[in-house]
Amino acid sequence: MTDPAAALRRRSRPASQARRRLPRAAEQFSGWAFVTPGAVIILLFGAAPIVWSAIMSFQRSNLLSPSTPYVGLRNYRQLAHDPIVGQAIQHTLIYTILFVPGTMLVGLFLAVAMNRKIRFISVYRTAAYATMAISTISEALVFIWLFDPSYGLVNYFLSLLGIPQQQFLNSPTEALYVILVMTIWGWTGFAVVIYLAALQGVPQSLTEAAAIDGASSWATFRRVTLPLLSPASLFLAVWLTINALQLFDEVYLSTQGGPLNATTVLVYYLYDQAFQDFNFGYASAIAYVLFLFILVITAIQFRVGRRFTHYRS
Amino acid sequence: MIRTFACTSLAAALVALGLAACGSDSGSSGAAAGSIQIWEGYTGPEAKVFAHLVSEYDTQHPGTKVTSLFVNNDNSLQKVLTAVRGGSLPDIAYLYGSWAPNVAQIPQVVNLTKTVSRPGVNWPDFWVGERDVATVNGKVIGIPALVDNLAVVYNKTLFAQAALQPPQAGWTWDQFSADARRLTDAAKKQYGTAYVTPGSEDTVWHWEALLWEAGGQLLTAGNKKAAFDSAAGLKALTTLRTMAVTDHSMYLDPTDSAYGNLFNSGKIGMLVTGPWDLSTFPNAKYGVQVMPSFAGASGGHQTISGPDNWVIFNNGAAHVTAAQKFLLWLTAPAQVRYFSLRTGDLPTRQSVTDAAGFDQQMDKALPGVSTFIANLGNVRQSRPQIATYPKISQALGTMVVSVLLGKAAPQAALSTAAQQVNQILANPNG
Amino acid sequence: MSAAAATAGRPSRRRRLPFSPWHLVLIPATLVLILPFAWLIVTSVETPAEALHFPPILTPHVIRLGNYPAALRAAPFARFFVNSAVVAVTTVASNLVLCSLAGYAFARLRFLGRGALFVVIMTTLMVPFQVTMIPQFIITKWLGTHLLAPIGINHIGALIVPNAATAFGVFFLRQFFRTLPIEYEESARVDGASRLKILLRIVLPLSTPALATLAALTFLDSWNNFLWPLIAINSTSQMTLPLGLAMFQGAHSTEWTLLMAGNVMSLAPMLIIFFVAQRFFVRSIASTGLAGT
Repeated sequence: MTDPAAALRRRSRPASQARRRLPRAAEQFSGWAFVTPGAVIILLFGAAPIVWSAIMSFQRSNLLSPSTPYVGLRNYRQLAHDPIVGQAIQHTLIYTILFVPGTMLVGLFLAVAMNRKIRFISVYRTAAYATMAISTISEALVFIWLFDPSYGLVNYFLSLLGIPQQQFLNSPTEALYVILVMTIWGWTGFAVVIYLAALQGVPQSLTEAAAIDGASSWATFRRVTLPLLSPASLFLAVWLTINALQLFDEVYLSTQGGPLNATTVLVYYLYDQAFQDFNFGYASAIAYVLFLFILVITAIQFRVGRRFTHYRS
Repeated sequence: MIRTFACTSLAAALVALGLAACGSDSGSSGAAAGSIQIWEGYTGPEAKVFAHLVSEYDTQHPGTKVTSLFVNNDNSLQKVLTAVRGGSLPDIAYLYGSWAPNVAQIPQVVNLTKTVSRPGVNWPDFWVGERDVATVNGKVIGIPALVDNLAVVYNKTLFAQAALQPPQAGWTWDQFSADARRLTDAAKKQYGTAYVTPGSEDTVWHWEALLWEAGGQLLTAGNKKAAFDSAAGLKALTTLRTMAVTDHSMYLDPTDSAYGNLFNSGKIGMLVTGPWDLSTFPNAKYGVQVMPSFAGASGGHQTISGPDNWVIFNNGAAHVTAAQKFLLWLTAPAQVRYFSLRTGDLPTRQSVTDAAGFDQQMDKALPGVSTFIANLGNVRQSRPQIATYPKISQALGTMVVSVLLGKAAPQAALSTAAQQVNQILANPNG
Repeated sequence: MSAAAATAGRPSRRRRLPFSPWHLVLIPATLVLILPFAWLIVTSVETPAEALHFPPILTPHVIRLGNYPAALRAAPFARFFVNSAVVAVTTVASNLVLCSLAGYAFARLRFLGRGALFVVIMTTLMVPFQVTMIPQFIITKWLGTHLLAPIGINHIGALIVPNAATAFGVFFLRQFFRTLPIEYEESARVDGASRLKILLRIVLPLSTPALATLAALTFLDSWNNFLWPLIAINSTSQMTLPLGLAMFQGAHSTEWTLLMAGNVMSLAPMLIIFFVAQRFFVRSIASTGLAGT
């Protein structure tokens, strides 16, 4: 889209065919020059493996013997009939739908709270960053303890409120939600750090002007701050979704997909197939289906996001 | 500011490349002739003792250099499989015995059948459970690195508090259940026993020991069909179910991480576990007893063991010879004795336990371990050494967990699992 | 300050507390956030006997600070630390450079194939590492043998190059650059400045919070990266901190007190740097009435 002011400036100069094409060719060149170094690295180490895994998904391979015969669509057909894949898809989607807005809301709330010059603000912010720095195993162990049905703090607090003891990680219905809480905790710091960076771009002049005009702080937040944060929100929504759909570490370190497959998500299942059952071709097929899922969902997010994000240009 | 930043980052990059260039070893796996690389996951005291043995070997054999790389045992499979595809295998790797049937399919794995039958090696000196796990389809693919088994570790203080007689050598599962019931105290949040329920092989092998004791088998001869949906299988499953669902005397640990510390904190009366856990109970006054038997069943006090293997990969004739020489030295009786005495790990050779005073010495360093050593004699069979065992294990894991959580009745769970296992056996590549 | 401006336009509603009311929100929130750290630090100074308790003991009777030197002695941690630092610093520097260039191009420059290339770059985020690690290993090995030895398998260069630019960084900076008011860049174009100069002189200085954030996140990722170094490194001298810490985790038993001491020592530099560098994360120039809307 051309900026009308810039177009005006250009038109006021003597225009010639050559000069009108030149900026575009130069811009093309600059564009490609800027993009190439990063793109080469990302594509070499990122895109090539994706092609490789697509090829693997049409083979029967266990990574052990060199023989990897082509079996056509057999892995995909098996996938379609595998009840655990269906369960894994369900769990992954439920988890993602709850995780992404949950983390964004908590992160936004804390970022707004931390975006001020009060004492100890650096301490609060470092605490948020620290939740990302802690190793997943430490995080997992603490939450396993907190949610232990007999000895954990959560059941203790629930008992104070008169609520009966929950089975949490022992319950096929509750286990996924415990993992949800664990991961929201783990990712809050990320959302806070991103929103804090974005909040720096909200000009104080605008918020002050709104306040002077008599707007309440909530209205200012909703009408001024939030729209200006929309690019960060889109970024977070996309990034958190991509990560949520690939949940693995917390499941591996706590429930290992159990109890009774209640926390089996797609990446855990494909890891299980690849490195426990030695079905690498099948695992690649699952990875590919997941890949297409993520691609479609991300594309939808960008489409929808385009309507709701405001870039100041 | 940008300029300073750009300069700093450029400088950093140059420093990095410089450090990288001069810092690295010639270390791609076993590159130099006369040097062999081992991937192992020893930590703590085991790591120190192993390092000592390695340096001792190097001193005795100038011209060979043995380097070892720490690779967490749980992660070593991913690293090995990547190395297989990428062509960067070590000379020796420590691999779980449960992976043996699949590892045997790697073409670079060296066939050690002739090696272990050399004079002086004395292959039958290794326990039968170990030899079973090191052999796949008649081919020996590894030399035993570790052996263990399951027995009952019980808290003497809790038994005394409940005025219970400690477990005797001839005890039965009925007595175990009764003891567990008496040791359970809901008010004190104390449990009689515990069971791990992630549904993994850890869940399955505990139940398999009971299956064997009840006189049952996992699969038919020749590993053709499921044989565990029998009276023996039902008895094994029901025994566990009574404790978990009826008596509530069994703490269920879905993450495989809390049960040990709970026992150490005096919250669990008895655990069916292995010798590796003994050193993690510094606060509990514990005793060790063999697993109970089923009254009247042929299985006796049978137990199950989970040995691990040293596997040799073919990186050329010179490396294979050097690796074989090292491994045969490492697993010779003198070194096995040295390693066991200093780490508390069970000796991988029978002759080592026959030596006078050995058991007492072990017990002094790690109380209770002599019962585990004696219990090695109760290992009479091993899990099926077939490539589809991991899938079978998953079906069995689901079966056990669904019964323990009270979601399925034992008979129904057995039938469902048997159906699944038969399907797996019928389509090994499915 | 905005507080003064705000109160000027509104009747003061309540008596001011001696401290900001936001502390009442932030303190409980922070306590929840740092609970695992409390456990981490407490375990790192416990004796093994007290560490092996469940429920965990949060107030140990015996404090053993000796866990820290013991952890350092257990393996060549100084070397691991240097390796991790070199990898992290280089990765951050390279990401800042390459992702700024690419992010700016995607945000502001129009070139053929821009949309498609961005999509392809984003797709690299959509396949889990368990699947991509094997081809990545093979490619890295090939580069080490045929191109430049220090970036091949078993060198820390192999830990740097595959992550020298990430789709995350490109995506993040693209989003951020698009929020900057374009007027500055436009007027510089009119004055005949080259794209590169605009990026360096105008855009990047305005993007300090975003660059600092990207640096912090990239550093974190690189410092804590475990699986790729596990696969790619075959000698102890090239190991990074996470691989070193794994040495405390055996198949059946873990040395918790040493592991946690190691974890605390691994975390501390990151947290200290983040804490001290806070001013880069906050916009020092308040953007004045650019009326960028």
